[in-house]
Amino acid sequence: MQKGIIFSIEEFAIHDGPGIRTTVFLKGCPLRCAWCHNPEGFSPQPQPMIRRGVSEVCGREVTTGDLAAQLLRDREIYRINGGGVTLTGGEPLMQPDFAEELLAMLRPEVHTAIETSGYASAETFRRVVAQCELVMLDIKHTDPAIHRRFTGVDNAPILRNLEYLAASDKPFIVRIPLIPGVNDTERNMKEVLALIRDARSLERVEILRYHKTAGAKYPMVGRKYDPPFDAGQEPHVCDLFTENQITTVIL
Amino acid sequence: MNSRIEKLRTFLLDKQHHRFRRSLESVGLADLPRQFAERGLVAVTRSAEALAALLEAEQPVILPGEKLLFTRTVAGVPDVYTSGEWEAIKRTHYIHERGTVCNISPDYETTLRAGLQARKEEIAARLADPALTAEQRTFLQATSACIESVQELVGRYEEYARAMGEHETAEVLGAVKNRGARSFREALQLLRILHFSIWAAGNYHNTLGRFDQYMYPYYRHDIENGILTPGEAFDLLEEFFLTCNKDSDLYPGMQQGDNGQSLVLGGRDADGGSLFNELSRMCLRASYELGVIDPKINIRVDKDTPAEIFELGSQLTRKGLGFPQYSNDDVVVPGLIQKGYTPEDAANYVVAACWEFIIPKYAMDIPNIDGLSLAGCVNACLPQLAACPDFGTFYKAVEAEIERRVGEICEKHKNLYIVPAPMMSLLMDGTIGRAQDISQGAKYNNYGIHGTGIATAADSLAAIRKFCFDERRVDAAALVEAVANDFRGASELQSLLRREAPKMGRDDDYADGLCRDLLASFARALDGRRNERGGVYRAGTGTAMYYVFHARELGATPDGRNAGEMIPANYSPSLFIDQKGPVSVIKSFTKPELKDVVNGGPLTLEFDQSVFRNDESVGKLGMLVKTYIVLGGHQLQLNTVSREQLLDAREHPERHRSLIVRVWGWSGYFVELDECYQNHVIDRIEFGV
Repeated sequence: MQKGIIFSIEEFAIHDGPGIRTTVFLKGCPLRCAWCHNPEGFSPQPQPMIRRGVSEVCGREVTTGDLAAQLLRDREIYRINGGGVTLTGGEPLMQPDFAEELLAMLRPEVHTAIETSGYASAETFRRVVAQCELVMLDIKHTDPAIHRRFTGVDNAPILRNLEYLAASDKPFIVRIPLIPGVNDTERNMKEVLALIRDARSLERVEILRYHKTAGAKYPMVGRKYDPPFDAGQEPHVCDLFTENQITTVIL
Repeated sequence: MNSRIEKLRTFLLDKQHHRFRRSLESVGLADLPRQFAERGLVAVTRSAEALAALLEAEQPVILPGEKLLFTRTVAGVPDVYTSGEWEAIKRTHYIHERGTVCNISPDYETTLRAGLQARKEEIAARLADPALTAEQRTFLQATSACIESVQELVGRYEEYARAMGEHETAEVLGAVKNRGARSFREALQLLRILHFSIWAAGNYHNTLGRFDQYMYPYYRHDIENGILTPGEAFDLLEEFFLTCNKDSDLYPGMQQGDNGQSLVLGGRDADGGSLFNELSRMCLRASYELGVIDPKINIRVDKDTPAEIFELGSQLTRKGLGFPQYSNDDVVVPGLIQKGYTPEDAANYVVAACWEFIIPKYAMDIPNIDGLSLAGCVNACLPQLAACPDFGTFYKAVEAEIERRVGEICEKHKNLYIVPAPMMSLLMDGTIGRAQDISQGAKYNNYGIHGTGIATAADSLAAIRKFCFDERRVDAAALVEAVANDFRGASELQSLLRREAPKMGRDDDYADGLCRDLLASFARALDGRRNERGGVYRAGTGTAMYYVFHARELGATPDGRNAGEMIPANYSPSLFIDQKGPVSVIKSFTKPELKDVVNGGPLTLEFDQSVFRNDESVGKLGMLVKTYIVLGGHQLQLNTVSREQLLDAREHPERHRSLIVRVWGWSGYFVELDECYQNHVIDRIEFGV
């Protein structure tokens, strides 16, 4: 049985897929997005975190069996409300064996979803996605240099995985965190549109506006929040998707 | 909202109508009780004369754009007894709250249909019975006199409207002065008159009942006959809702806002058919648009209620008024039948001022006569803890304490006296036939007992069971001493109790099972007991203001709570637990057999405003409500607040005059609450998303 490190389980997570869902946060992320509001998800290991003046350990090891049993306690609630379980992070694909096994244990009874940066090998991406009814894929930027500058990684694997989804029958949602001065340009949106326009199984696009409170947790894990963009500025909402008959939600 | 309603709303919120008000003294009514005493009048005659004098002192006014008239211009209700007389009565009687008839659900329907004149004739016919006693005769005469006083004021309003050129309004008033309502507008005007009159008679917590049911025939009649368009009907409905806010600051309550103008929508009929109709829908929309605290909306739902109704309700929740409150027919109706209500009456249940389930027309229940501190029962048994060989023995002691206290409470309510209420009697079934005032009782005369500190009690038992018995980690005597010393010098033990003991609200059967046992013990302790009026006792999960009283007298508790720390209001988790989330709370709180605690008392969930960013999330809130109902919850209320907003409101009340919060069974303006209530609202757990 696989073991994994998680740092939170959130009930009634209302922005993480359909119905009433529970979201599990897997610890560890290969990206360092300059706007990330969950810095406790960076490190793959448990770490101290100061909450309300008290130092606590953030992150714990769980087995897929125990976690699945806990999540399955709410199967009836997911069922009556068309909900399920969503894995997020961190980056859930950083613990692919754990994620794959956990999702398989929940299925077919529970609707499963994953929220991912898509930064993983094609093989990893495909086998975990195979265990999901829904994929929520973040697309931050289409330009490799800008992507690398603001997230620390190359976007080639992400775009390749997007291409795979776009050609598949797997229901998916593209999520775009809208960061002022970084990706809130018409050009970036146009390029994203070009990648998803013909996707059969795209359910919708979600545009998540940058929120000033993103930096709140950094001091709690001994980090400094110092975004290399103008965090005080409102992001420019450029919704080219709606006019192209793609359902779009701006959050 | 059209501009007429908009203007009227602003006028009322700006309290401009207060300028018409005069004090009781200035209209010469302050001295009435002395005159009554001098004349040696009996109580029921005093009640009728006090109402007559007050209505006579009323001056008709028409606020800008008003079509539904009747505004209080005398800012008070005369007493019927002198203070000396009242003190003497209090010495020999049990007095509930203010001593007047309150918190029941009047039967407006009969009088709306029959009209005032026909009701007067009904009384006259009854008076022809030679077998009546003098007392019965006096009651009937007093009730008839109330009708005449009301008719007299309606007549003056009619003349005034005519003089002001409001001919349509004058026609409506002229009609309903005598006969039953024949249109939606007439029905709303007559309802306003009746509701106004019972408040003027000194009765309070006057609920509005199943408004969408008894008003629906008039609505449908007007729509079907082309008398009103749905838009016109909606305007009148909004105006009626506004009338509930005209005089509400004059209505007595624990805090402003606690005035009991509950209105119940939807639900099933006795055969199980859904009664949610077009007017129910309109009521939700009107309440949403108006954004005022009265009437307080309740929705009766069940496991088959369509998602759409939960969504409509959640839209209203988003408004931040602290309602709708939901109740579950699948639990409440069988629960009431179990307590002896007929299936037809149970199916017609409504909520009293806060949440207590009562029956319109037939019940003179007192659903809030007292409260049992369940956490207090656990604490009272602590001295026996060290001698208990196992947890079962300790629980038996707690159960015995519940039984003992319940017995004591039931002994307290002997020789109850309620001031006669001839006006209210007119609006309750059977009073004319029996020729007996409603204050003397009705078909149902049941009493309800609140159970407070339920989660605190369950958590305390869980901590004791786990640490003193199952794991033997904590010495019983040490625990008892630490609690007695409010955990001074025992911070490690306190932290263990607070953080590591099982808590209710986390979907943990260990704690939840103990809550189920406690509620079952509470219900059993009341089973078979009868009050002096022949009624039964009903256990409940509400707290009303008892959560403040009981927290003060409680001391520290074995769940790690310090003396002086609040206990939860109503049926809710303890304030300091580490929350898993609302799904766990719902699961925990639906494990007990809630049919057995049918006096009512809602689970309260508070949500940060961020939950309501879009319609999709509002829809999910609807799903959460439905989940509580499907899992067998009895009653639910939801609050939307932002903590920053509350903190700022406490510091700068002037900036937050319109901030509304749900307090216990009612919503009120935050800045007008006493500080202890403000702090409690702030301390309650929020589910930020």
